[in-house]
Amino acid sequence: MPIKSYLFPGTKSALIKFKLAIYLWLIIIILALVAVAPLNHLVRANLSHLYLGQPAFIPFELHLIEIFIAHQDFFQPYLYLLLILFSLTAIIFIFLDAALFGRMITSERKITFSDFLADGSRYFWSFFLSTLLYLPIFILFFLLSRFLAFPLNIWAGKSVTEWPVIISSNLKLLLFILLWTASKLIFDLIRIIIIKDQKTVLLALRQAWFFLSKHFFSLWGLYLLVGLIFVLISIIFLFIGRLISAEHLFGLVLMIILAQAYIVFRLFIRMVFIGFENRYYEKNRI
Amino acid sequence: MGKKRISRRKLFGIILLWFFLSTTISVWPEERAVKYFINVELLPETHLIKANETLRWTNRTQDYIPDIQLHLYWNAFKNELSTVAKESRNEGLLKRYQVKKNEGGWIKITSMTTVEGQDLLPSASFIAPDKPVNPDDQTVLRVSLPKPLSPGETITLNLEFEAQVPSNGLRAGFYRDGYFISQWFPKPGVYQEGKGWNCHQYHLNSEFFADFADFQVKITVPEKFVVGACGEEVDRKVNQALGKITYTYIQQNIHDFAWAASPRFLKVERLFKASEEITPEEYQQVANLLDLRPEEIKLPDVRMILLIEKQHRNQIERHFRALRAALKYYGLWYGPYPYRTITMVDPPFRTGSGGMEYPTLFAAGTSVILSKNVLSPEGVIIHEFGHNYWYGIVANNEFEEAWLDEGINTYSTGKVAAVAYGPGEYPLKFNGLPLNWLVKFPAVYDWQTDRLFSSTVVKLDPIVNFSWDFFNSTSYALNVYQRASTALNTLERLLGQKTMAKIMRTFQQRYRFCHPKTEDFIKVVNEVSGQNLDWFFQEFFFSTKDFDYAISSVKSQKLTEKISGLYDQSGQDIQPAAPEKAGKTWPKYETTITLRRYGEARIGPGVKMKLKVKFEDGKVEWREWDGQNRWTRFTFITPTPVQTAQLDPEHIWLVDSNLSNNSYTRLGPRQKIPTTTHGFFWLVENMLLTLGSLF
Repeated sequence: MPIKSYLFPGTKSALIKFKLAIYLWLIIIILALVAVAPLNHLVRANLSHLYLGQPAFIPFELHLIEIFIAHQDFFQPYLYLLLILFSLTAIIFIFLDAALFGRMITSERKITFSDFLADGSRYFWSFFLSTLLYLPIFILFFLLSRFLAFPLNIWAGKSVTEWPVIISSNLKLLLFILLWTASKLIFDLIRIIIIKDQKTVLLALRQAWFFLSKHFFSLWGLYLLVGLIFVLISIIFLFIGRLISAEHLFGLVLMIILAQAYIVFRLFIRMVFIGFENRYYEKNRI
Repeated sequence: MGKKRISRRKLFGIILLWFFLSTTISVWPEERAVKYFINVELLPETHLIKANETLRWTNRTQDYIPDIQLHLYWNAFKNELSTVAKESRNEGLLKRYQVKKNEGGWIKITSMTTVEGQDLLPSASFIAPDKPVNPDDQTVLRVSLPKPLSPGETITLNLEFEAQVPSNGLRAGFYRDGYFISQWFPKPGVYQEGKGWNCHQYHLNSEFFADFADFQVKITVPEKFVVGACGEEVDRKVNQALGKITYTYIQQNIHDFAWAASPRFLKVERLFKASEEITPEEYQQVANLLDLRPEEIKLPDVRMILLIEKQHRNQIERHFRALRAALKYYGLWYGPYPYRTITMVDPPFRTGSGGMEYPTLFAAGTSVILSKNVLSPEGVIIHEFGHNYWYGIVANNEFEEAWLDEGINTYSTGKVAAVAYGPGEYPLKFNGLPLNWLVKFPAVYDWQTDRLFSSTVVKLDPIVNFSWDFFNSTSYALNVYQRASTALNTLERLLGQKTMAKIMRTFQQRYRFCHPKTEDFIKVVNEVSGQNLDWFFQEFFFSTKDFDYAISSVKSQKLTEKISGLYDQSGQDIQPAAPEKAGKTWPKYETTITLRRYGEARIGPGVKMKLKVKFEDGKVEWREWDGQNRWTRFTFITPTPVQTAQLDPEHIWLVDSNLSNNSYTRLGPRQKIPTTTHGFFWLVENMLLTLGSLF
């Protein structure tokens, strides 16, 4: 049973090393604070003394759009800031992934921040190279998704109703997501091999290719299963979020807790992916 | 036998003529300047229409007219040199209207003769009246007449033409075997006494202008097609041998004629029964508003025809409910709908023809997946039906003053939607799926979003402007629709609902079946309100001035009992006593509120901008400002500090581009700001995580 053999141990290892999710969460909070600070200032400077009245003459959300329109000059430099920040984040995440993979794959149970940083430094360069290697793979899969979507385009292009257009555009999105998960699986495996077998990036790619030629569908099936669980839980989160009214302080606090729990959940799921992929590779490598 | 056959034909002819004349005479005693008799056949194999048209045009001016100018709108899609194509290219929209191989639209007059048989085609040439001049445009044809047309004289022209239905046209088009046919026949411009022809070429942003006319149109299509058209269907003949069917439609006193044909239409008919739709109390309520008697605003029954794509069959009732609401409120507020039928077309898929108005017929548009909280297709149905009043009956020149129908109708649409449905969520979709399923958006009224979006174009163009002279399509749309509507909603709040209702009804009634201009509307506003509101139109319709009044600062500080410093009194320096030391009145607070006018636009003479200040002890103070200078300051000495301050607390000035700076409260909007900033924060966290998981 792949679920019992790989998914449960993978989840267990993620639970044991849950502290890693907290490290990542704190780092993301810092990055997000930097990104949101100017926007927060704009909103507070313009709306912190707004009198809404009961009932509000205009919903608060429209006031928000109004001040964005009134301060259009703010957005160009702000978008540059976001661009720089997101570019830096891409680099930072390579480091964080190196740290995360390093700590998830190690047999040590104890997690410390210094070990986390040490793994990040140790594997950063290999992970950076693997990212460069991943880019053409990603583009290849993207082009493949466009190619496979061709019949859908023809079907939608010839339709006399709107249904084929909606169905095909959503199928195309689904197709892209499926192919992206497949490419991501290869990418994860390369990184696991880099750490586990201490291989260079190209050798890791070669080994991952051989491994997946035998195990691709069962591993991908597990990957999609976890992905599906993630989507379902995300929908439940969103649904609960819709029910919470932030009109009162209690609701606001509850909403913030729920939202941050969701971020931690996303990070945890990332660890589950690494956990079961590592377990699968460990059990089935030659 | 033969005698009997002739008498039947005659009888039918007499009945038809009687019907045609009786509706004309009973409802509209005046003769129209233009009459059309058109026979048209649709050839789906080649997407061509072939037609002959008898056009009778009467010179109702005192001018001697040497020519006639005809709109040939479909030539806009003939090549990439047309004005529409050039303007599309300027806006990066050319791809949308680009001529595909054998699928561009065009219209060609193959024959044009007078009743005496004189061929007029040799004297015809294309002209481009608008600037910048585009000599390559072929959407206006000037035809020299054999002799100038005398005042009161009528000319009858017999035309034969064929036209290629555009595949990706503007408002008209075909996709597979679904057709929406509009602006399809040679149609004269409007001759204006002393000024000549008003016959503009087709522009990307322009709509239309034509004289009121009587139409008789025979439409021949393959038998499988379901057809809908302007006016009333009076005859239907099947030619089984050819597998074709000919429908005859007639309508008097309209200025355009459109039709649609598709085998995928379902045709559903209902009756708008005024007696069931409107209660006596409702009649009384509206009569009171308009200072009329209930019997003066009684509405007639109207036959409602819906042509809906089979894929939308589950939305039939939703369509009719919106149409009934529109018939009811437009009828009650502005006057009875003067025609017997209204045809609502859910346009054939991919014909690019949705959301468009024609007299007695309109194209709506919907989607297979709808959210129940979003007023779509209701909004478009109410709006396009409303054009029967603003464009159809009160027929302004849409080329030159589009706001007169689009702006007034956007204002009217918002009012009807508000009273019939209340606020609706904004329609946002992803991959055809409503985002409202996932995220909760606030429900808003049209006027709320209209004022918001219109503020983005105030400094670009005035509302009153030629359609092709706007900065771009967005400025055209937001100025003539949303900004004009916002200005009218402001006018309503300034004058009161009752005065505004009377203004709108007077304007509609006075200019029914006429071509009013902006000046006429202003005259009605001044006359009915009893005020000179020229300044209002100057500031908000003819200028590009931003209107933004604001509370720029509020300071409440505790006054000390002792005032420091030395003050000269009778030649001696003394320490003054504290003012009004009446024990209980202390502590006192000095509140200073500074108001500013950030925009160029100002309120008019005699109008005041009001300030309402509420203090923590519940006491309320009002102040007024004429708003002419750039700023003013008010000071209050009160026992408690300020709690709230509101500039324009009655919310009159919807044209104010930033209402967020019109109020002050010490506590702010409670949890709204942390909720919002956390929302952004969470969004960024998720974006970062997604980015992180990509690499």
